[in-house]
Amino acid sequence: MNKFLNRLCIFILPVLIAGAFMDTWISANLRKSNSHASKEYPTWNAILDGKLDADVLIYGSSRAWVHIDPSIVEDSLGLSTFNLGIDGHTFDMQYLRHLLALKNNPKPKLIIHSLDIGTLQRSNLYNPDQFLPYMLWDEAFYDKLSKYEGYSYFDYKIPLIRYYGKYDAIKTAIKMRLSRTDDAGRVRGYQARDQSWNADFENAKMAMEGYKAISDSLTERLFDSYLSECKADGICVILVYSPYYIEGQEFIENQSEVIDMYKRFARKYDLLFLDFTKDEICFDKKYFYNASHMNRSGAELFTRKLCSQILLHRGTTACKWQ
Amino acid sequence: MLFNSIDFAIFLPIVFGLYWFVAANNLRLQNLLIVVASYIFYGWWDWRFLSLILFSTLVDYSVGLGLLKQVNPTKRKLLLWTSILINLGFLGVFKYYNFFLDNFITAFSFFGTDIQATSLNIILPVGISFYTFQTLSYSIDVYNRRLAATKDFIAFSAFVSFFPQLVAGPIERATQLLPQFYTRRIFDYGKAVDGLRQILWGLFKKIVIADNCARYANLIFDHSESYSGSTLVLGAVFFAFQIYGDFSGYSDIAIGTSRLFGFDLMRNFNFPYFSRDIAEFWRRWHISLSTWFRDYLYIPLGGNRGDIWSKVRNIMIIFIVSGFWHGANWTFIAWGGLNALFFVPLMLTKNNRTNMDTVAQGKLLPSLKEASMMMLTFSMTTFAWIFFRAENMGHAASYISTIFSRSLFSAPHFADAMLAIPTMILTIFFIAMEWIGRDGQYAIQHLNRRPKTLSWPFYYLIGGLIFVFAGSSQQFIYFQF
Repeated sequence: MNKFLNRLCIFILPVLIAGAFMDTWISANLRKSNSHASKEYPTWNAILDGKLDADVLIYGSSRAWVHIDPSIVEDSLGLSTFNLGIDGHTFDMQYLRHLLALKNNPKPKLIIHSLDIGTLQRSNLYNPDQFLPYMLWDEAFYDKLSKYEGYSYFDYKIPLIRYYGKYDAIKTAIKMRLSRTDDAGRVRGYQARDQSWNADFENAKMAMEGYKAISDSLTERLFDSYLSECKADGICVILVYSPYYIEGQEFIENQSEVIDMYKRFARKYDLLFLDFTKDEICFDKKYFYNASHMNRSGAELFTRKLCSQILLHRGTTACKWQ
Repeated sequence: MLFNSIDFAIFLPIVFGLYWFVAANNLRLQNLLIVVASYIFYGWWDWRFLSLILFSTLVDYSVGLGLLKQVNPTKRKLLLWTSILINLGFLGVFKYYNFFLDNFITAFSFFGTDIQATSLNIILPVGISFYTFQTLSYSIDVYNRRLAATKDFIAFSAFVSFFPQLVAGPIERATQLLPQFYTRRIFDYGKAVDGLRQILWGLFKKIVIADNCARYANLIFDHSESYSGSTLVLGAVFFAFQIYGDFSGYSDIAIGTSRLFGFDLMRNFNFPYFSRDIAEFWRRWHISLSTWFRDYLYIPLGGNRGDIWSKVRNIMIIFIVSGFWHGANWTFIAWGGLNALFFVPLMLTKNNRTNMDTVAQGKLLPSLKEASMMMLTFSMTTFAWIFFRAENMGHAASYISTIFSRSLFSAPHFADAMLAIPTMILTIFFIAMEWIGRDGQYAIQHLNRRPKTLSWPFYYLIGGLIFVFAGSSQQFIYFQF
């Protein structure tokens, strides 16, 4: 038995040592990728490495990510801007980005928070590969992600385990090590979409007909405390409901109720709430590639309109951001 | 608990440590530990069905004791039938009730009579067909006086619930496994190392080959109406490797795990895809089930004695029952029947025992004739797998009719086809390893004769391939049986 156990230890020891080194190597190279995991790494890197360098932060889901162009905001407001929109995630994960951004970067003056029908809902752990290089032994990631199904306890605590079966991630890490080049990523977190109207709408029509958004009470409370924290920290928050293609809006039974809820939050904290759901952009298909996402021309037009509205309403709320 | 889960990776060393360090000098304690570990292992999936295993254990233990005391032939037969009816009754209720009900309703409605009956919403307990057959073998062997009934309830419970093979076999004979629970197990270094090696290879088969092939087999079978005949052929080949990797991988892990605890289980697969005819294939595929049916059904029916029609009848029965054992669906019956049709001509021409040795023994490559025979056998087997995998007979029929259409001659194409290339390369590597190691009990057993400078890097390579290419975890196919 002793011989068996000794040999087993001798066999396993190099695996454990190599595992720890390989974890570091894969993570270091993977996070260089601009394209893997829906292009989320550059944004996470900027947050965690303290390189946001922004007076204005844009929060939200993919609708923030593809709708609000930081360069236009910078030109219009004269403030450096970074878009932290996170694809496929609702406020719960947006809040993780907010916390980490505050922890590793100077406090922003202004947050433009893009809201939508699902902001206060509970999502699943969409695009889990985006967390891979950062989640080992990180309490902030563990506290947040462990509430979702997707990774086990050991993925957060033991090196390399989380890369088990992640062939694409490992391949990307090797590719990044060898070529060091990658597709162009997001520009200060923003991703313009040069796409025209596609068949997604027809699919969404089938999936969303009679859809009713039901918000999650825990996420609602978290959103409330986030607004309260921002107020206490002197960070101005502007709530924005960006354009949604008009026919798509008709599928959602309780959109007006959801918007009313956001209005109540705005009133409670004396915030500016800008609702673009009846804007003329919503009536023109050429600005969208599906019911909920605008293409480049739509996003640029919208960002200009948004900035002019922000400038127009400056000073109408208690919040002073400039 | 799945073999390819982190739960099992924690469970196994704990049980191993307790077994060899705490209970090493006490046979009864070792057996008790196996029972407890086995019940935890099974209960991890659904603890409610532990009562079924316990009940089955109590029934066959009591029947065994009854047979031990009873000399009256009628009463002995009554005891045996009690065991058979209770065990098959479980199967009937949990596995076949809804099937028979639906078919009776359909049959009566065909003749113009509508029957109102309610089908049951039943969860099929994992591995019920395996442990039921194992306990049945005990009662039958005790009845036939091939085995003395045991008075040791703990040893018998351990035999019924032995966790490595509880949910998907090999289906052990009481004559082979039960006596191992009576004798003290002494740790054997060579056996344990061999067990670990076999576990490693089993994990590779399951996690790398089966789970990756499953991805494409599922894609193609689930959307078969959208694909060309050539793509459907590829889908069937993916499934052929999925089911082989899945089931033989499970058997390898089960056998290897048992060896860690000092037990020898029977071999369940013997490189079946290198068979030169269907008869050879069935001597090499799911051996524990084939031999079970041979010993407890085929031979009692008369086996290969009698006139031609009796022989054909017996073959048809054994294959169809074997198909039905897999599941309550006409597709499994068709799969069994088709294999019978493949087999009968060999038996009638007395060619069913032609290829008894290992193909191309001592040679690097097979002859052209051998290669052609293997390809033909593999094609026939893969064709039959279509019925096994199809959702229903209609699905199987449309799948096959698309294969035999003009689109068979177009290039295969499916979504993410390029992503399947690593899977294909790994499958070729797997076939090559199986070919090289076809003389052993499992493909990489021969590495025990190689120096560590050669064998250890290979183990690391296999471990690395498992780590990198692990497919999305799929439940073992045979759990549903």
